[in-house]
Amino acid sequence: MTHVLTAALFLAAAVTGAPNDPYPPDEGKKIVYAALHEDPHGLDPVQIGDTTSHGIAAQVYDALYEYHYLKRPYELQPALAAAMPEVSEDGLTYTIPVRKGVLFQDDPCFAETGGKGREVTAEDFVYAIKRLADEGNKPRGWWLLDGKVVGLDEFHEESVKAAAEGAEMDYSREVEGLRAPDRYTLRIRLTEPYPQLKYALAMTYTAPVPREAVGYYRDDFHNHPVGTGPFRIKEWSRRWRLILERNPTYRDDFYPSEGEPGDAEAGLLEPAGRKVPFIDEVYYTVIYEAQPSWLYFKQGYLDASGVSKDNFQEAITPEKDLTAEFMAKGISLTKVPEAAVFYVGFNMEDPVVGGDNKKLRQAMSLAYDTEWRIEHLMNGRGISAQGPIPPGIFGYDPEFRNPYKGYDPEKARELLAEAGYPGGIGPDGKRLTIAYDIGQPGPEALQPALAFAADMEKIGIKVDVKTNTWAEFLRKMREGRHQVFNTGWILDYPDPENFLQLLYGPNKAPGPNGTLYDNPEYNALFEQMKAMPDTPERLDIIRKMVDILVEDAPWVPSIHTVSYVLRHQWSRYAKPHGIGGGYLKYRDVDVELRRRLRGEWNSPNYGLLFGILAAVAGAGLALAFVGKPAPGGMGQT
Amino acid sequence: MTAYIIRRALYTIPLVLGVCLITFVLFECVYSPKDRAIRQLGKHATEEQIQDTIRREGWDKPAAVNWKAPGFAKLTDTRFREHLVRLLLLRFGRSEKTHEEIWGKILRGAVPSLKLTIPIFAMGLFVGICLSLMVAYFRATYLDLGAVVVCVAFMSVSILVYIIGGQYLLAQNMMLFPVYGYAPGVHSAPFLLLPVLIAVLKGMGGDVRFYRTVFLEEVNRDYVRTARAKGLGERVILFKHVLKNSMVPVLTRTVLAIPFLFMGSLLLERFFGIPGLGNMTIEAVESGDFKVLSAMVYLGALLFALGNLATDISYTFVDPRIRLR
Repeated sequence: MTHVLTAALFLAAAVTGAPNDPYPPDEGKKIVYAALHEDPHGLDPVQIGDTTSHGIAAQVYDALYEYHYLKRPYELQPALAAAMPEVSEDGLTYTIPVRKGVLFQDDPCFAETGGKGREVTAEDFVYAIKRLADEGNKPRGWWLLDGKVVGLDEFHEESVKAAAEGAEMDYSREVEGLRAPDRYTLRIRLTEPYPQLKYALAMTYTAPVPREAVGYYRDDFHNHPVGTGPFRIKEWSRRWRLILERNPTYRDDFYPSEGEPGDAEAGLLEPAGRKVPFIDEVYYTVIYEAQPSWLYFKQGYLDASGVSKDNFQEAITPEKDLTAEFMAKGISLTKVPEAAVFYVGFNMEDPVVGGDNKKLRQAMSLAYDTEWRIEHLMNGRGISAQGPIPPGIFGYDPEFRNPYKGYDPEKARELLAEAGYPGGIGPDGKRLTIAYDIGQPGPEALQPALAFAADMEKIGIKVDVKTNTWAEFLRKMREGRHQVFNTGWILDYPDPENFLQLLYGPNKAPGPNGTLYDNPEYNALFEQMKAMPDTPERLDIIRKMVDILVEDAPWVPSIHTVSYVLRHQWSRYAKPHGIGGGYLKYRDVDVELRRRLRGEWNSPNYGLLFGILAAVAGAGLALAFVGKPAPGGMGQT
Repeated sequence: MTAYIIRRALYTIPLVLGVCLITFVLFECVYSPKDRAIRQLGKHATEEQIQDTIRREGWDKPAAVNWKAPGFAKLTDTRFREHLVRLLLLRFGRSEKTHEEIWGKILRGAVPSLKLTIPIFAMGLFVGICLSLMVAYFRATYLDLGAVVVCVAFMSVSILVYIIGGQYLLAQNMMLFPVYGYAPGVHSAPFLLLPVLIAVLKGMGGDVRFYRTVFLEEVNRDYVRTARAKGLGERVILFKHVLKNSMVPVLTRTVLAIPFLFMGSLLLERFFGIPGLGNMTIEAVESGDFKVLSAMVYLGALLFALGNLATDISYTFVDPRIRLR
């Protein structure tokens, strides 16, 4: 067997270079190697609800608008549109010129042209938006346009009926507010001013899909995306790999020539004005477990990696810098604040924690030890949240301090006494006990919940942690059977409205407002703010709203997460982007450097192998030739 | 023998129906239709959409008895009947999550699984029998004692330890194998060597202990003594006579395993990234893809029945005293 093994190893080494190289030969192509932690759930643009699917779909599908790669705060720019939308005086009519000459990717679904992709026209956008409204497609993004476009709700209603009967929706049915007056113009009429529409038009939900592909693949369209993006799918073998290749008919698209301060120094403007994409392929390996993906990265077989908890100390020092070993390999560390907020919410309709009992909520907020969590549960990868708006979003103020945030158990006890629970004992002489719901089973979710219980224990409140599945959790919210709960929100689009709506009265559960908070003053400010452009006046209103929230304390804002990204030195022009799904078209890679370093890091250690094999064989032979009967009654014959 | 096979085939009917019932209860009744709809729709789902999904998927139909339906349809217009038809006629349909044809999924997954399990099975059998004959040959020596220690170690330590240890030592430290992954055709060899090696080593412990016991029992029989008296060498006795005469227990252990080769290996596939059926099953568990799961459980039950039958039949080939009636 040893012979077979060594022969196979040498053979493998001869074929691929290093015997542990997991990839087929690159044939001179420029390839980015990455990992997926699960397969995309599906790539029908109207159904995408998870980050993995979005990360792939965003490379294959282009929408009307996209986010600027380098500028922060995030800024929209035309992609398939020829210009930014022209908005009428009343804010209700959007006229959008569509870029000419953009082609769908070549695909067998275009039977008439023998597989050549046809030109995208304004009608394709009308079709895509109708698909988003068609209940028969199980759209996940309908909430974006629900109640917003003239006539689209009727279309939606009808599709609900059709879906219930198992019939297909008739797409030739006109929608008044959704028209293509000519081949290259899209006109959308709204029922109310909705400035967030531009963000909706930058999401893959509204990306144009060819009617031909939907008809051709039917149920399998999910697995066969046909878009206009910089890449298309070359191969998708589930549980194994997904390979994207450059779309040869991609439109003229160029690397940006301006960015934010510091980008030029970081070399991010080097390729300014060059045509994208730079790379030929993206090779994703599906790796579920953290350990193999970490080893892959260390051997140079992944270009970038996150840092999991188990490997944190290996890569990051207690001062949150790279360790010497990683530094020596030329690996870089980027810390990216994420546009997300995690919070503890109170059911405002609950007789104990809700309503006017704000002193109780403030007390619990003061007893909440955020710093401890960030340090011990998250390896320091978090920012203590002061309000609902995360960093990178208009209205976030890094200087702002929530007076009820920041660990102060003394003051918490005082407030608790004022609230009628001195030492945690209520007016009825019983200890205050609170039900705390979390929406995810498993130790990662339980740990912070137990920390919450410990924090509250210190001021005399007893916490009863309840673990739910996500579905049970949502149902409790819907039915108002919750008291205190823990959840989070990751942005849909970079507008503070997306976060402030979580506490808007009319959005009460089953909407996203799980606290059932309903303050008329806040609601009025929200309605005023949501349709405004990002002006100083808007900022004033947002500040007022945040102040109201701080005082009423329907939330204990907990943490904005910060993610750590490690990259090998051969990765080029990678700038973390919180929304666009990665923008791989702007990436480049130094193939020569990668080949050299991989070779250096992966020379097999045959000596040790033969040493071990020799030791095992030697021990066996020695035992065999001792030949003496062993003591004890073994195998008597 | 034909009569026997037919009778055995009939015995599988209650088994199959039982499996259908259990999978139905587990996968269709435990989660309420609402929970399943929410899982499918995500964070922005409205009550209306949830009701709609339930109606479209037919989850609002009664489980076992439909009182509203007329006459005989009371028992046929139900979810249980649909479930039964799907499994019994092997019309698994499309996956709830990935929209792929389940049969296509299974056939695609079977190739990598077989590439992994067949070498494990063949090498395991070969190595196991050779080593146990050797141990039987050296019985009651230090080598035998040493083998016991090694075998017990292999048997009692979890395979996870060998997986992680093997990945660490052979793939990471010595850089002899890719840590993880898969490739088509013959290129899959470097990826499969390490998991095969680990599984063979891990399986060896139990195999060697078991076969050794079987062989030693046989070694004490009269015909062995006669053979020895006639001057036959110990090697010929073991490999020619003892091995042949201990085939019944050996077959019991091995033939039963053959059908399960199709099901793949849950842990090895998961940790080494082999896109086989074991991996697919875990994925279905994680994503709550009940249609795929019930198909796999059902196929597993069928294969189990098939394995039992094959074992019984194989006895007649190695032992002429056994007749199937």
